[in-house]
Amino acid sequence: MNALPAWLTDTRLSAEIVPLLSGRSEASLEQLASEAKAATLRRFGRIVSLYAPLYLSNHCSSGCAYCGFASDRKSPRRRLEPDEIKRELAAMKALGIGDVLLLTGERTIETGYDYLRQAVERAAGIMPRVAVEAFPMTVAEYRGLAECGCTGITIYQETYDPENYGKLHRWGPKRDFLERLETPERALQGGIRSIGVGALLGLSEPVAEATALARHVMHLCRSYWKAGVSVSFPRIRPQEGGYQPAWPVDDRFLARMIFVFRIAMPDVDLVLSTRENPAFRDGMAGLGITRMSIASRTTVGGYHDPEGAGTSQFEVSDDRSAEEFCRALRSKELEPVFKNWDPAFNGPIVTEEAGCP
Amino acid sequence: MDSLQLGTYEFSSRLILGTGKFSSTRAMLDAVRASGTGLVTVALRRFNREQAEDDLFGPLSEIGGITLMPNTSGAATAREAVRAAHISRELSGSPFVKVEIHPNPHHLMPDPIETWEACRILASEGFLVMPYIPADPVLAKRLEDVGCTSVMPLGSAIGSGQGLSTAGMLKIIIRDSSIPVIVDAGLRSPSEACAAMEMGCAAVLVNSAIAVANDPTAMASAFAEAVQAGRRAKRAGVMPRSGTAVATSPLTSFLGTAP
Repeated sequence: MNALPAWLTDTRLSAEIVPLLSGRSEASLEQLASEAKAATLRRFGRIVSLYAPLYLSNHCSSGCAYCGFASDRKSPRRRLEPDEIKRELAAMKALGIGDVLLLTGERTIETGYDYLRQAVERAAGIMPRVAVEAFPMTVAEYRGLAECGCTGITIYQETYDPENYGKLHRWGPKRDFLERLETPERALQGGIRSIGVGALLGLSEPVAEATALARHVMHLCRSYWKAGVSVSFPRIRPQEGGYQPAWPVDDRFLARMIFVFRIAMPDVDLVLSTRENPAFRDGMAGLGITRMSIASRTTVGGYHDPEGAGTSQFEVSDDRSAEEFCRALRSKELEPVFKNWDPAFNGPIVTEEAGCP
Repeated sequence: MDSLQLGTYEFSSRLILGTGKFSSTRAMLDAVRASGTGLVTVALRRFNREQAEDDLFGPLSEIGGITLMPNTSGAATAREAVRAAHISRELSGSPFVKVEIHPNPHHLMPDPIETWEACRILASEGFLVMPYIPADPVLAKRLEDVGCTSVMPLGSAIGSGQGLSTAGMLKIIIRDSSIPVIVDAGLRSPSEACAAMEMGCAAVLVNSAIAVANDPTAMASAFAEAVQAGRRAKRAGVMPRSGTAVATSPLTSFLGTAP
């Protein structure tokens, strides 16, 4: 493998955040929570932006040991056809959703770039904000997506430990650690406005993972000053394949990690999905978390036909309806916001302005 | 009457409210009423005609005596801000536009170059243009030259609550400006709003400090009173601060005594 990029081994952040993450600092969890809450309130006020995922397909060419859609799983494969995508988006829109994350696995013949681009185009005609979580692409491909209304790309490194990464990604295009690591930068060079990063917690030693992730965020913010960067905190959930996390992350560590991120990066969106249970989600809303998914279906076709949609990528832990979840937020004096973007701002950041490589 | 003049519009209150960051639309509306403001700003990205519960524009437009000033928050370039201004005018019917262009979505500092360009275009199209700007005296005059209705320099970073950290620059902007200067962003407490008015600002715009208070309604009326007090003090003439040291031996003895 080629050498790791300098930012990944840059130790500048370590002195600040490692003691907090590892619990070696004197600050208690309660103190960190209180600081995180104050920082969130100052910059983001009392609002929580909502989005919902739309699984376009479960086709995949990779062999990620921890994923229910890996190419050796036995479940039937399916992709949404154009009229089905339209139907799903309509069902989501009826729930009030105005911000959609389109997902698919690694590139396959059935679900390649053209398929994805058409889906983005269709979604951008219906939803105010469209983001994509899919296979890594070229700069030109990202530019194409931005041109037809894709505002954000989410791409998790999964683990920042190169050795572990090699073991977990058993085959397929995702095997290349560095190629994946450079993907957020290609998206930003292609004019995508915001990038979501994360580590799939449970795969490697969590303090090191959190530190590497923080370095990644800092690197992206420094190198691409116009980029919006957001951070997600996915934890391994039960899935077809039965992978058991080598480094289970408990609630207290996850909360600590989110507080530390909020304190270290006060103006970055921090995201929590329905992988987490209602009690944890409700507790963390406003304590650092500013963006949350709602009413998620992780099956292909799950909005229009929740019963007949087949296997999910992972089990959703918070299956409350949009209405129920919003009620919980409101009871905490937080306002759920369904539309926090306008298509007037869609389109790529122009090339000469798109940060420096 | 000592009213705030913006274009052909007159406002009895010199407090302008931002409408984001509140815990609910109802809390925001209550604060707007309690503030006595006549002018509120609302982001195009929070216009939601398809879902009433999520929409800020609809409920605001139903309050009597309030003029809406749509803002372009979310725009990273002049082109996007101009597009947003056109859509906002179409939807709201308001001639006001608050030009907010912040290419960095984290710290939200306004881009002076793109802001100038957008203001030039929008002013020539007849908008009442109110740009959110860094506290830069040269930029403020450049914006006056292209026909802006006011300039809105920041007191400090949005949502930072650091008050009038740009006071030195604000004083120059106020001294040199022929159009109203409105401090926007960074105010944490009513006393800071009062200080801005005493300094000679025509108005202040407040959002976070009211929205995140434990009691936004009470805080809105506290700001209203502070703004009025500051304005009255300015008009009454604030006593000059004594800053002159007295030399032990006279400095002008070499000039002799007056004839």
